[in-house]
Amino acid sequence: MNAWTSYQLQDFIPFTAEVYFRLLERMGETFWPLHLLTFAMGATTLFLALRYRTRLARLLPAPLWAFVAVAFFIQRYAELNWAGGYVGYAFIVQTVLLVVMALTGWGMDKTSSRTSLPVVMGTAITLFGLIIMPLMAPLSGGSWYQAEVFGIHADPTAVTTLGLMLIMLRGFALWIAVIIPALWLVVSGLTLQVLESTGAAVLFAVLVIALVGLVWKSIASKR
Amino acid sequence: MNYHIRHRIKHGITRRQSLTLIGATLAAMALPTASLFANTGGMRHKTFAGTDKTLPVIGMGTWRTFNVGSDPELLDARTEVVKAFFEYGGGLIDSSPMYGSAPDVMGYALQQLGTPESLFSAEKVWSPAGGSAGEQVAELKERWKVEHFDLVQVHNLTDWREHLAALQEMKAEGIIRHVGITTSHSRRHREIEQIMTSEDIDFVQLTYNITHREAENRLLPLAEERGIGVIANRPYDGGSLIQNLKRRDAPLPEWANEECGCTTWADFLLKFIVSHPAVTCAIPATTQVEHLHENMRAGHDPMPSANARQRMAAYIESL
Repeated sequence: MNAWTSYQLQDFIPFTAEVYFRLLERMGETFWPLHLLTFAMGATTLFLALRYRTRLARLLPAPLWAFVAVAFFIQRYAELNWAGGYVGYAFIVQTVLLVVMALTGWGMDKTSSRTSLPVVMGTAITLFGLIIMPLMAPLSGGSWYQAEVFGIHADPTAVTTLGLMLIMLRGFALWIAVIIPALWLVVSGLTLQVLESTGAAVLFAVLVIALVGLVWKSIASKR
Repeated sequence: MNYHIRHRIKHGITRRQSLTLIGATLAAMALPTASLFANTGGMRHKTFAGTDKTLPVIGMGTWRTFNVGSDPELLDARTEVVKAFFEYGGGLIDSSPMYGSAPDVMGYALQQLGTPESLFSAEKVWSPAGGSAGEQVAELKERWKVEHFDLVQVHNLTDWREHLAALQEMKAEGIIRHVGITTSHSRRHREIEQIMTSEDIDFVQLTYNITHREAENRLLPLAEERGIGVIANRPYDGGSLIQNLKRRDAPLPEWANEECGCTTWADFLLKFIVSHPAVTCAIPATTQVEHLHENMRAGHDPMPSANARQRMAAYIESL
């Protein structure tokens, strides 16, 4: 038997569903009521992005990416999976990228109409990450502490940022800015799939919609 | 049942019925409940590595199940599992630095419970090689909060030449008691065979269960011939084997109870493994005390004969 082809996805997930969802819950328990602030920052970012105030809109999520990098990945997730520390560093890279983009104004999109399809898709993805994702756990029978919130947990932070980038950026900068959020959503989706959670399908659906929006915007901007 | 008994008492019972009821009550008291079994010490033991030392045939793995981080709730829950394991006379617990926080969680449990004499602590070293085995063992001892390891294995043959040489030195110095190598999912069996033939190892850990029997061809006979202990990992094929049987509501054959006392699928699957003459112990992993009870009971006699083992394998194939 070939050693490498014998590996399956579950061989790379060293924890159970119980442990992973407790980790998400512990984030909620530990940091409540910080959720209110991070949600407000997310909502403000969306408002600014739709008003074409994109420099400030790119700066606002940056500290939240740094917070998730340290509080979620480096301090907690890495206890369960040694690779978690590296994901934390990737989130810090995203923080730096957002700050650099805010300072330089690289890739700002001030021409797309708010009613253009990619911007509508970006807005929908952002609202999904900000409002719908936190409601998913409580509405499916979990406690409010299990609610995954933008700026506290990794998945809604990546989803919301993906939507915001789709609204605010164009060209090469757009593709660069979505690499880390999209890669994390792939990793998280595969993790949830191994843990037999329906959340996997949700993340993959968001990724597909975002990809359509990205390609659409790239093609449209070249016309 | 309670209603049934109450109903009969309410309407008056005969002397014969009374005697039947008393007899049934006494029989129920004699049933092998978890708490009673915990004190019977009826677990089968096997000698290993050409010594006269013995190990209980059911050990415990920690992959995924003991990686709970610093969650206080789950740390206490896993401590209960370890406590039940030792109450049943459990011995070998296997972990790895690749299992996230599992070594720390074991350390937490042992600190809470004390380190029982029956513990046979098994750990692993992995990459990077180049003299790091000693540091890894020292760090793992701190994490487990133990004085020594009974067994340290080279995880999945990672840089096995360097690691094995370092482990042999540690064994000679008395830092560890036994050395071994591991593989899983039937990977690299040819290389494992070569090491078992050419190196002086005490244990080999490999995947062996009723649906993955490749090791029967060469590795298990070789282990028996060379007096190498065998630890069977993935006895439930990562959980999927027993989950599928339970999910499908597959019937446990009556002859399995008659032949070797199988009353649960855990009995059936684990007895098949540990009744192989070359296998020292199997290491099922669990997060639940209830499942641990099932696992440990499987280590009690009677065990299946060679013919019964064939019948068991054929039955699983037929499902």
